[in-house]
Amino acid sequence: MSDNKDEDKEDKNSGGELEKCRKEREEYLDGWKRAKADFANYKKEEALRLENFLKFSNELMVRDLVGVLDSFDLGLAVLGYDDPGRKGMCLIQNQLEDQLKKYGLERIPSALGKSFDPSLHEAVAEIDSEKSPGIVVEEIEKGYKLHGKVIRPVRVKISKGQLTDNNKQ
Amino acid sequence: MSKILGIDLGTTNSAIAVMEGGEPRVLENQEGNRTTPSIVAVSKSGERLVGLLAKRQSVVNPKNTIFSVKRLVGRKFTDSEVQNDKNWLPYEIKAGENGGVEIKMSAQGGSPPKEDGPRAHASGGNDRWYKPEEISAMVLQKLKADAEAKLGEKIEEAVITVPAYFDDAERQATKNAGEIAGFKVRRIINEPTAAALAYGLNRQKEEKIVVYDFGGGTFDISILEVGDDTVEVKATGGDTHLGGDDFDKRIIEYLTQEYKRREGIDISKDSLALQRLKEAAERAKHELSTTLETEINLPYITSDSAGPKHFLMKLSRAKLDDLVKDMIDRSIDLLKEAVTAPPPKGAGIKLSDIDEIVLVGGQTRMPAIQEAVKKLFHKDPHQGINPDEVVAVGAAIQAGILQGDVKDVLLLDVTPLTLSIETLGGVATPMIPKNTTIPTAKTQIFSTAADNQTSVEIHVGQGERPMMADNKTLARFILDGLPPAPRGIPQVEVTFDIDANGILNVKAEDKATNKGQSVKIEATTSLNKEEVEKLKKEAAEHAEEDQRKKGLIETKNNAESLIYTAEKSLKDMGDKIDAKVKEDIIEKINRLKSVKDGDNLEDTRSALNDLSAELQKAGGAMYNKKEEPPH
Repeated sequence: MSDNKDEDKEDKNSGGELEKCRKEREEYLDGWKRAKADFANYKKEEALRLENFLKFSNELMVRDLVGVLDSFDLGLAVLGYDDPGRKGMCLIQNQLEDQLKKYGLERIPSALGKSFDPSLHEAVAEIDSEKSPGIVVEEIEKGYKLHGKVIRPVRVKISKGQLTDNNKQ
Repeated sequence: MSKILGIDLGTTNSAIAVMEGGEPRVLENQEGNRTTPSIVAVSKSGERLVGLLAKRQSVVNPKNTIFSVKRLVGRKFTDSEVQNDKNWLPYEIKAGENGGVEIKMSAQGGSPPKEDGPRAHASGGNDRWYKPEEISAMVLQKLKADAEAKLGEKIEEAVITVPAYFDDAERQATKNAGEIAGFKVRRIINEPTAAALAYGLNRQKEEKIVVYDFGGGTFDISILEVGDDTVEVKATGGDTHLGGDDFDKRIIEYLTQEYKRREGIDISKDSLALQRLKEAAERAKHELSTTLETEINLPYITSDSAGPKHFLMKLSRAKLDDLVKDMIDRSIDLLKEAVTAPPPKGAGIKLSDIDEIVLVGGQTRMPAIQEAVKKLFHKDPHQGINPDEVVAVGAAIQAGILQGDVKDVLLLDVTPLTLSIETLGGVATPMIPKNTTIPTAKTQIFSTAADNQTSVEIHVGQGERPMMADNKTLARFILDGLPPAPRGIPQVEVTFDIDANGILNVKAEDKATNKGQSVKIEATTSLNKEEVEKLKKEAAEHAEEDQRKKGLIETKNNAESLIYTAEKSLKDMGDKIDAKVKEDIIEKINRLKSVKDGDNLEDTRSALNDLSAELQKAGGAMYNKKEEPPH
């Protein structure tokens, strides 16, 4: 009798042990599979990331050069249309912009007269105007995209629309 | 099981990260940025905007642009802090049910102006009062959508961080925000704990850690104590209205004042000029973290009757430090207080009791801050992880622990020091470089250094120094029974294999006879931290001298090898070489032999080059002879 009891106990023990092992096996197998899958995905993403990295590796430099394009805009605005230096300055600006285009830079089209769109524009002020509210009435800085990503929104002033109302009154 | 997202839900900006292949990875948002402004707005056209897009229209839509909502989450309206915030927040707040805070935001955007008067009813019937957690939920929803888009899978669970000083109500409200956003919030963890986790400090035993978190708008200090698998917050401190943005304001203020002094023009009212100056100031601040002086150059900043005016000014690191000195000093005073003041104001410990320092927040890139903190504790703070992302990284690691990627038992360790094998001249040739994740194995073929050498000694060492004698010896054994052969011919394959428990197995096998020897070295990773640091420090201190020594040995080895080749060539092909050339070679060999054992690297190198050139000349002459047409 006592022998049987001992055997039962042993059976139970080994059953428990086996169960524990099974559980561990499941856990480890799952962990291993996940690690493998993670690695496979990682490799795919890494390839994509590398592609993006190459595309955007010069983003900081391009951002800084956009500041130079701004300065050209401001400089040209100061020079009169018949200023003899104007043409040359325009050409240098175009040259710089053309070079940057090769690296994926594009100017965001003018926002004037369009509805304010925060995905492309950044509002810096709201002013009285005859235009409907929310319409861009002044563009103070041009905006740029690099490979489709907005690296600088167009900085704009938008209409409060009050002049129209006041006029109507 | 899908991934659990780690979220740093910040006052000014938020960031997200996940565990991938056992490593945390910060995810970019839809706009391609690694941080997302914690801002929600309903635009004038009635659209709900979150993040950068909300920020871009904040100037013209202040009443419906909700930022800094974290300051209100879980608080009572009557709290003094809420009352203070009420004075400067441009949007409206009121007491809600149960005494909480409610925020007014247009449900469909501001109404268009009515004919009977401009904007008199701009907040008409479209307004809705939101709980702060509903606003936070909108930020979380965007982060969730961005993470799902980036990973291409559904995300249902999250770990969200909160400041250490958040009470139960604030934590519960944050959890609710997560749930409103559609997450199952697996855990709310403290931001400083997350930062410590990112640096792996949770594994240290019985340590006291100070986390100095200088964000965009808030400054938080936390004193943590790490025990057995627990991280306890001993004290918190800081200033909820001090941040990097204040530094920017200070710089802009200085630049505009200085410009006014020089040119007599006030550009602070010109929105374009101010916008350009703001960007330039921020850029200058960043640059001065790595350079000592920067130039702010903004052509055509403004104009007066005399024509266009330009902005050209130099800003030095010293000047910047001077401009913000009071703010840094204040942060250090608060830090001192949080560590030394008796509880509950502080942790009530000595400054020297602090074992580790972690810096969080972009502003901590500033050298003056790093130095001030270092000076206070006489210790180097932890650096290396982007301070803007370190909390999100820690949250992802916590998420990884929860989803089973990171288990203390299964935590993949790294080799703390390089494992090398000694080669000719006592050089330590690295087999497994430091910081290699284990388990790992590396095999390399070595050969003999002398003719008819029948045994090789395998000397295994650990350390960063290039000469084996300076490193720690782990094992030595002899592989014998190599068949006699000229030097360089036998192939001995040596394998270093470290298993997950850090046990190193070194095996050497002769490829010709398949005869092998191996040794097992227990616990190569069990060096304590001080030992590892000491060895690394020694390596850094001796780097130059070691490099010279190694160069000398390598040149000597090359010299011996060349002498061997030259003598062998003379023996094998002596009769085909002109006597004069032969004489020259022998002379050059003798010269090299006489200098190679000395300490003069230059002499050995020049003798080596001379012999090499002479041999090439002889070789070339032999080929030319061969090519001569037969007579």
